Amino acid sequence: MGFFPQWATMKLHQKSVLRFFRGYRTQAPDREGILLKKGARNTSYQRRWFILRGNLLFYLEHQADHTPLGLILLENCQVEPRLGATEPYAFTIRTPGGGGRAYKLAAENREELRAWLWALAGATWTRLAVLLRPLEAQYRELCQAAGQEPGSPPEDCGSPATPRTLFSFQELHEHFGKEIRMLQAVHRQFQEASDNGGSRSRAGGGEAGAHELLMSGN
Amino acid sequence: MRYNEKELQALSRQPAEMAAELGMRGPKKGSVVKRRLVKLVVNFLFYFRTDEAEPIGALLLEHCRVAQEEPSGFSISFLEDPERKYHFECCSEEQCQEWMAALRRASYEFMRRSLIFYRNEIQKMTGKDPLEQFGISEEARFQLSSLKA
Repeated sequence: MGFFPQWATMKLHQKSVLRFFRGYRTQAPDREGILLKKGARNTSYQRRWFILRGNLLFYLEHQADHTPLGLILLENCQVEPRLGATEPYAFTIRTPGGGGRAYKLAAENREELRAWLWALAGATWTRLAVLLRPLEAQYRELCQAAGQEPGSPPEDCGSPATPRTLFSFQELHEHFGKEIRMLQAVHRQFQEASDNGGSRSRAGGGEAGAHELLMSGN
Repeated sequence: MRYNEKELQALSRQPAEMAAELGMRGPKKGSVVKRRLVKLVVNFLFYFRTDEAEPIGALLLEHCRVAQEEPSGFSISFLEDPERKYHFECCSEEQCQEWMAALRRASYEFMRRSLIFYRNEIQKMTGKDPLEQFGISEEARFQLSSLKA
Protein backbone atom coordinates (compact mmCIF):
# COMPACT_ATOMS: atom_id res chain seq x y z
CA MET A 1 0.00 0.00 0.00
CA GLY A 2 3.01 2.32 0.12
CA PHE A 3 4.46 4.31 2.94
CA PHE A 4 2.08 6.13 5.27
CA PRO A 5 3.62 8.98 7.23
CA GLN A 6 2.49 9.39 10.83
CA TRP A 7 0.38 12.42 10.08
CA ALA A 8 -1.52 10.90 7.15
CA THR A 9 -5.26 11.06 7.49
CA MET A 10 -7.46 8.12 6.78
CA LYS A 11 -7.96 7.47 3.13
CA LEU A 12 -11.48 7.04 1.91
CA HIS A 13 -11.24 5.51 -1.55
CA GLN A 14 -13.23 8.17 -3.27
CA LYS A 15 -13.62 6.37 -6.56
CA SER A 16 -15.75 3.73 -4.90
CA VAL A 17 -17.94 6.42 -3.39
CA LEU A 18 -18.21 8.47 -6.57
CA ARG A 19 -19.31 5.44 -8.52
CA PHE A 20 -22.05 4.83 -6.03
CA PHE A 21 -23.02 8.48 -6.23
CA ARG A 22 -23.30 8.37 -9.99
CA GLY A 23 -25.51 5.33 -9.63
CA TYR A 24 -24.43 4.00 -12.95
CA ARG A 25 -27.13 6.20 -14.49
CA THR A 26 -29.51 3.29 -14.02
CA GLN A 27 -31.08 4.25 -10.80
CA ALA A 28 -32.92 7.25 -9.50
CA PRO A 29 -31.69 8.42 -6.10
CA ASP A 30 -33.85 7.91 -3.02
CA ARG A 31 -34.46 11.61 -2.77
CA GLU A 32 -32.96 14.77 -4.19
CA GLY A 33 -33.62 18.46 -4.04
CA ILE A 34 -32.55 21.84 -2.79
CA LEU A 35 -31.69 22.32 0.83
CA LEU A 36 -30.05 25.25 2.52
CA LYS A 37 -26.88 24.34 4.30
CA LYS A 38 -24.99 26.32 6.87
CA GLY A 39 -21.27 26.34 6.19
CA ALA A 40 -18.80 25.02 8.73
CA ARG A 41 -16.93 28.32 8.98
CA ASN A 42 -19.14 30.65 7.01
CA THR A 43 -22.35 30.76 9.03
CA SER A 44 -24.64 31.86 6.27
CA TYR A 45 -26.88 29.36 4.52
CA GLN A 46 -25.89 28.24 1.05
CA ARG A 47 -28.23 26.68 -1.46
CA ARG A 48 -27.07 23.19 -2.30
CA TRP A 49 -28.45 20.29 -4.31
CA PHE A 50 -28.74 17.25 -2.07
CA ILE A 51 -28.88 13.67 -3.26
CA LEU A 52 -29.75 10.78 -0.96
CA ARG A 53 -28.59 7.41 -2.12
CA GLY A 54 -28.75 4.53 0.31
CA ASN A 55 -27.14 5.57 3.59
CA LEU A 56 -25.15 8.39 2.01
CA LEU A 57 -26.22 11.98 1.60
CA PHE A 58 -24.30 13.93 -1.01
CA TYR A 59 -24.41 17.66 -1.63
CA LEU A 60 -23.47 19.48 -4.78
CA GLU A 61 -23.02 23.10 -5.66
CA HIS A 62 -25.24 22.64 -8.70
CA GLN A 63 -27.63 19.89 -9.69
CA ALA A 64 -25.69 19.05 -12.85
CA ASP A 65 -22.27 18.81 -11.20
CA HIS A 66 -20.40 15.60 -11.86
CA THR A 67 -18.72 15.49 -8.46
CA PRO A 68 -20.28 16.30 -5.10
CA LEU A 69 -18.86 18.96 -2.81
CA GLY A 70 -19.30 16.66 0.10
CA LEU A 71 -20.73 13.60 1.71
CA ILE A 72 -22.59 12.90 4.95
CA LEU A 73 -22.67 9.38 6.25
CA LEU A 74 -26.04 8.62 7.78
CA GLU A 75 -25.43 5.72 10.16
CA ASN A 76 -26.26 6.42 13.80
CA CYS A 77 -27.13 10.02 13.10
CA GLN A 78 -29.87 11.92 14.81
CA VAL A 79 -32.07 13.91 12.52
CA GLU A 80 -34.24 16.46 14.25
CA PRO A 81 -36.12 19.62 13.39
CA ARG A 82 -34.64 22.81 14.77
CA LEU A 83 -37.06 25.47 15.99
CA GLY A 84 -35.89 28.94 16.72
CA ALA A 85 -33.40 28.86 13.87
CA THR A 86 -32.95 31.89 11.65
CA GLU A 87 -34.42 29.86 8.81
CA PRO A 88 -37.83 28.25 8.99
CA TYR A 89 -38.09 24.52 8.19
CA ALA A 90 -34.66 24.01 9.71
CA PHE A 91 -33.30 20.69 10.86
CA THR A 92 -30.05 19.22 12.08
CA ILE A 93 -28.22 16.03 11.21
CA ARG A 94 -26.16 15.19 14.25
CA THR A 95 -23.36 12.77 13.50
CA PRO A 96 -21.81 10.48 16.10
CA GLY A 97 -18.20 10.54 17.17
CA GLY A 98 -16.57 13.28 19.22
CA GLY A 99 -15.80 15.99 16.72
CA GLY A 100 -18.48 14.73 14.40
CA ARG A 101 -20.35 17.58 12.87
CA ALA A 102 -23.88 18.74 13.40
CA TYR A 103 -25.03 19.67 9.92
CA LYS A 104 -27.47 22.54 9.97
CA LEU A 105 -29.85 22.42 7.09
CA ALA A 106 -33.15 23.95 6.12
CA ALA A 107 -35.84 22.95 3.67
CA GLU A 108 -37.68 25.43 1.50
CA ASN A 109 -41.14 24.64 2.78
CA ARG A 110 -43.03 22.38 5.18
CA GLU A 111 -43.64 19.64 2.64
CA GLU A 112 -39.97 19.41 1.81
CA LEU A 113 -39.03 19.38 5.48
CA ARG A 114 -41.43 16.56 6.24
CA ALA A 115 -40.34 14.55 3.22
CA TRP A 116 -36.64 14.95 3.97
CA LEU A 117 -37.03 14.08 7.65
CA TRP A 118 -38.90 10.94 6.71
CA ALA A 119 -36.43 9.97 3.99
CA LEU A 120 -33.41 10.52 6.24
CA ALA A 121 -34.93 8.62 9.16
CA GLY A 122 -35.39 5.61 6.92
CA ALA A 123 -32.04 5.74 5.17
CA THR A 124 -29.73 3.71 7.34
CA TRP A 125 -28.16 0.40 6.44
CA THR A 126 -29.04 -0.83 9.89
CA ARG A 127 -32.73 -0.23 9.36
CA LEU A 128 -32.63 -2.00 6.02
CA ALA A 129 -30.93 -4.98 7.67
CA VAL A 130 -33.60 -5.10 10.36
CA LEU A 131 -36.34 -5.12 7.70
CA LEU A 132 -34.61 -7.63 5.49
CA ARG A 133 -34.01 -10.36 8.04
CA PRO A 134 -37.64 -11.32 8.77
CA LEU A 135 -38.58 -11.14 5.11
CA GLU A 136 -35.78 -13.45 4.14
CA ALA A 137 -36.73 -15.86 6.91
CA GLN A 138 -40.38 -15.77 5.92
CA TYR A 139 -39.51 -16.43 2.28
CA ARG A 140 -37.39 -19.44 3.16
CA GLU A 141 -40.10 -20.84 5.41
CA LEU A 142 -42.66 -20.43 2.65
CA CYS A 143 -40.39 -22.16 0.15
CA GLN A 144 -39.74 -24.99 2.54
CA ALA A 145 -43.47 -25.42 3.20
CA ALA A 146 -44.14 -25.44 -0.52
CA GLY A 147 -41.29 -27.85 -1.22
CA GLN A 148 -39.77 -25.21 -3.45
CA GLU A 149 -36.15 -24.30 -3.98
CA PRO A 150 -35.60 -20.72 -2.73
CA GLY A 151 -34.61 -18.28 -5.46
CA SER A 152 -32.16 -15.41 -5.30
CA PRO A 153 -32.49 -11.73 -5.98
CA PRO A 154 -31.46 -10.79 -9.51
CA GLU A 155 -27.85 -9.91 -10.38
CA ASP A 156 -24.65 -11.78 -9.84
CA CYS A 157 -24.30 -11.74 -6.11
CA GLY A 158 -22.73 -15.09 -5.43
CA SER A 159 -24.39 -17.45 -3.00
CA PRO A 160 -27.71 -16.54 -1.39
CA ALA A 161 -27.35 -14.95 1.98
CA THR A 162 -27.82 -17.22 4.96
CA PRO A 163 -29.44 -15.54 7.93
CA ARG A 164 -26.85 -15.25 10.65
CA THR A 165 -29.21 -14.35 13.43
CA LEU A 166 -32.84 -15.03 14.08
CA PHE A 167 -35.31 -12.26 13.60
CA SER A 168 -36.39 -10.85 16.91
CA PHE A 169 -39.55 -8.88 17.39
CA GLN A 170 -37.71 -6.95 20.07
CA GLU A 171 -35.22 -5.63 17.49
CA LEU A 172 -37.97 -4.48 15.17
CA HIS A 173 -39.92 -3.01 18.06
CA GLU A 174 -36.91 -0.99 19.21
CA HIS A 175 -36.02 0.10 15.74
CA PHE A 176 -39.45 1.33 14.77
CA GLY A 177 -39.91 2.70 18.23
CA LYS A 178 -37.06 5.12 17.47
CA GLU A 179 -38.64 6.24 14.22
CA ILE A 180 -42.01 6.70 15.83
CA ARG A 181 -40.54 8.69 18.73
CA MET A 182 -38.68 10.90 16.29
CA LEU A 183 -41.83 11.53 14.25
CA GLN A 184 -43.80 12.19 17.42
CA ALA A 185 -41.19 14.77 18.39
CA VAL A 186 -41.55 16.41 14.99
CA HIS A 187 -45.31 16.41 15.38
CA ARG A 188 -45.12 17.95 18.86
CA GLN A 189 -42.83 20.69 17.63
CA PHE A 190 -45.16 21.51 14.77
CA GLN A 191 -48.00 21.67 17.29
CA GLU A 192 -46.00 23.97 19.56
CA ALA A 193 -45.16 26.21 16.66
CA SER A 194 -48.81 26.54 15.75
CA ASP A 195 -49.85 27.09 19.38
CA ASN A 196 -47.37 29.93 19.59
CA GLY A 197 -49.05 31.50 16.58
CA GLY A 198 -46.03 30.77 14.45
CA SER A 199 -45.66 32.90 11.38
CA ARG A 200 -44.73 29.87 9.33
CA SER A 201 -48.15 28.57 8.36
CA ARG A 202 -48.70 27.82 4.75
CA ALA A 203 -50.84 30.29 2.94
CA GLY A 204 -54.41 29.16 3.41
CA GLY A 205 -53.32 25.92 4.97
CA GLY A 206 -53.00 26.59 8.65
CA GLU A 207 -51.51 24.09 11.06
CA ALA A 208 -54.25 21.50 10.97
CA GLY A 209 -52.46 19.79 8.14
CA ALA A 210 -49.41 18.90 10.24
CA HIS A 211 -50.93 15.80 11.73
CA GLU A 212 -52.16 14.57 8.37
CA LEU A 213 -48.80 15.24 6.78
CA LEU A 214 -47.01 13.07 9.31
CA MET A 215 -49.54 10.26 9.43
CA SER A 216 -50.33 9.92 5.76
CA GLY A 217 -48.10 7.08 4.56
CA ASN A 218 -44.93 8.33 2.97
CA MET B 1 -15.12 15.66 -2.19
CA ARG B 2 -15.35 16.62 1.47
CA TYR B 3 -16.26 14.17 4.15
CA ASN B 4 -15.93 14.20 7.88
CA GLU B 5 -13.18 11.81 8.82
CA LYS B 6 -14.45 11.61 12.41
CA GLU B 7 -17.75 10.20 11.13
CA LEU B 8 -15.97 7.42 9.32
CA GLN B 9 -13.70 6.76 12.27
CA ALA B 10 -16.73 6.51 14.55
CA LEU B 11 -18.28 4.03 12.16
CA SER B 12 -15.10 1.95 12.13
CA ARG B 13 -15.40 1.54 15.90
CA GLN B 14 -18.83 0.01 15.71
CA PRO B 15 -19.49 -3.70 16.07
CA ALA B 16 -18.32 -5.32 12.88
CA GLU B 17 -20.03 -7.99 10.85
CA MET B 18 -16.60 -9.47 10.19
CA ALA B 19 -13.16 -8.60 11.51
CA ALA B 20 -9.89 -10.43 11.01
CA GLU B 21 -6.25 -9.99 10.29
CA LEU B 22 -5.73 -10.63 6.60
CA GLY B 23 -3.02 -10.11 4.07
CA MET B 24 -3.89 -7.11 1.94
CA ARG B 25 -2.45 -5.82 -1.30
CA GLY B 26 -3.54 -2.69 -3.10
CA PRO B 27 -4.36 -2.41 -6.80
CA LYS B 28 -1.19 -0.56 -7.80
CA LYS B 29 1.36 -2.49 -9.73
CA GLY B 30 4.17 -3.67 -7.55
CA SER B 31 2.33 -3.26 -4.27
CA VAL B 32 3.23 -5.79 -1.61
CA VAL B 33 1.10 -7.78 0.77
CA LYS B 34 0.77 -6.23 4.22
CA ARG B 35 -0.90 -7.66 7.30
CA ARG B 36 -3.94 -5.57 8.06
CA LEU B 37 -6.84 -5.74 10.49
CA VAL B 38 -9.81 -5.72 8.14
CA LYS B 39 -13.22 -4.84 9.47
CA LEU B 40 -16.59 -4.91 7.77
CA VAL B 41 -19.06 -2.39 9.20
CA VAL B 42 -22.34 -1.83 7.36
CA ASN B 43 -21.33 -1.24 3.72
CA PHE B 44 -17.80 -0.08 4.46
CA LEU B 45 -14.64 -2.09 4.62
CA PHE B 46 -12.07 -0.54 6.97
CA TYR B 47 -8.49 -1.58 7.25
CA PHE B 48 -6.06 -0.84 10.06
CA ARG B 49 -2.40 -1.38 10.76
CA THR B 50 -2.50 -4.31 13.14
CA ASP B 51 -1.40 -2.32 16.18
CA GLU B 52 -3.40 0.84 15.59
CA ALA B 53 -6.83 1.95 16.75
CA GLU B 54 -7.69 4.23 13.84
CA PRO B 55 -8.20 2.88 10.32
CA ILE B 56 -5.85 3.90 7.57
CA GLY B 57 -8.41 3.40 4.85
CA ALA B 58 -12.01 2.67 3.93
CA LEU B 59 -13.72 1.24 0.89
CA LEU B 60 -17.40 1.67 0.12
CA LEU B 61 -18.73 -1.73 -0.90
CA GLU B 62 -21.27 -0.72 -3.54
CA HIS B 63 -21.26 -1.83 -7.19
CA CYS B 64 -18.30 -4.02 -6.48
CA ARG B 65 -17.34 -7.50 -7.49
CA VAL B 66 -15.96 -10.02 -5.02
CA ALA B 67 -14.07 -12.83 -6.69
CA GLN B 68 -12.07 -15.79 -5.46
CA GLU B 69 -8.33 -15.63 -6.02
CA GLU B 70 -6.25 -18.74 -5.63
CA PRO B 71 -5.14 -20.21 -3.35
CA SER B 72 -7.31 -18.99 -0.42
CA GLY B 73 -7.90 -15.35 -1.11
CA PHE B 74 -10.35 -13.00 -2.70
CA SER B 75 -10.34 -9.69 -4.49
CA ILE B 76 -12.63 -6.70 -4.52
CA SER B 77 -12.95 -4.66 -7.66
CA PHE B 78 -15.43 -2.03 -8.75
CA LEU B 79 -17.67 -2.64 -11.69
CA GLU B 80 -16.42 0.26 -13.76
CA ASP B 81 -12.78 -0.65 -13.25
CA PRO B 82 -12.50 -4.43 -13.11
CA GLU B 83 -8.73 -4.56 -13.49
CA ARG B 84 -8.10 -2.52 -10.37
CA LYS B 85 -8.28 -5.15 -7.64
CA TYR B 86 -7.80 -5.02 -3.91
CA HIS B 87 -6.41 -8.41 -2.91
CA PHE B 88 -6.93 -10.17 0.39
CA GLU B 89 -5.31 -13.34 1.67
CA CYS B 90 -7.09 -15.58 4.14
CA CYS B 91 -5.72 -18.35 6.29
CA SER B 92 -8.15 -20.97 5.00
CA GLU B 93 -10.64 -21.67 2.25
CA GLU B 94 -13.38 -21.56 4.86
CA GLN B 95 -12.42 -18.10 6.06
CA CYS B 96 -12.25 -16.96 2.47
CA GLN B 97 -15.77 -18.19 1.66
CA GLU B 98 -17.11 -16.60 4.83
CA TRP B 99 -15.63 -13.23 3.92
CA MET B 100 -16.78 -13.36 0.33
CA ALA B 101 -20.36 -14.11 1.34
CA ALA B 102 -20.34 -11.37 3.97
CA LEU B 103 -18.94 -8.76 1.58
CA ARG B 104 -21.56 -9.52 -1.07
CA ARG B 105 -24.34 -9.27 1.49
CA ALA B 106 -23.03 -5.97 2.82
CA SER B 107 -23.94 -3.75 -0.10
CA TYR B 108 -26.90 -1.47 0.53
CA GLU B 109 -28.03 -1.90 -3.05
CA PHE B 110 -27.83 -5.68 -2.78
CA MET B 111 -29.88 -5.59 0.41
CA ARG B 112 -32.46 -3.35 -1.19
CA ARG B 113 -32.77 -5.62 -4.23
CA SER B 114 -33.12 -8.58 -1.89
CA LEU B 115 -35.82 -6.91 0.14
CA ILE B 116 -37.78 -6.06 -2.99
CA PHE B 117 -37.31 -9.60 -4.30
CA TYR B 118 -38.50 -11.25 -1.06
CA ARG B 119 -41.37 -8.83 -0.76
CA ASN B 120 -42.62 -9.65 -4.22
CA GLU B 121 -42.14 -13.38 -3.83
CA ILE B 122 -43.96 -13.39 -0.49
CA GLN B 123 -46.77 -11.37 -1.96
CA LYS B 124 -47.07 -13.86 -4.81
CA MET B 125 -47.08 -16.81 -2.44
CA THR B 126 -49.40 -15.44 0.24
CA GLY B 127 -51.34 -12.68 -1.45
CA LYS B 128 -50.19 -10.31 1.30
CA ASP B 129 -47.60 -7.56 1.26
CA PRO B 130 -45.17 -8.28 4.12
CA LEU B 131 -44.22 -4.60 4.42
CA GLU B 132 -47.77 -3.64 5.26
CA GLN B 133 -47.39 -4.81 8.85
CA PHE B 134 -44.64 -2.19 9.24
CA GLY B 135 -46.75 0.50 7.66
CA ILE B 136 -44.17 1.22 4.98
CA SER B 137 -45.58 -0.38 1.86
CA GLU B 138 -45.68 3.00 0.13
CA GLU B 139 -42.07 3.85 0.82
CA ALA B 140 -40.50 4.76 -2.50
CA ARG B 141 -37.17 3.11 -1.84
CA PHE B 142 -38.80 -0.33 -1.62
CA GLN B 143 -40.83 -0.25 -4.81
CA LEU B 144 -39.98 -2.44 -7.77
CA SER B 145 -39.79 0.73 -9.84
CA SER B 146 -36.87 1.96 -7.76
CA LEU B 147 -34.70 -0.67 -9.40
CA LYS B 148 -35.13 0.88 -12.81
CA ALA B 149 -33.97 4.19 -14.27
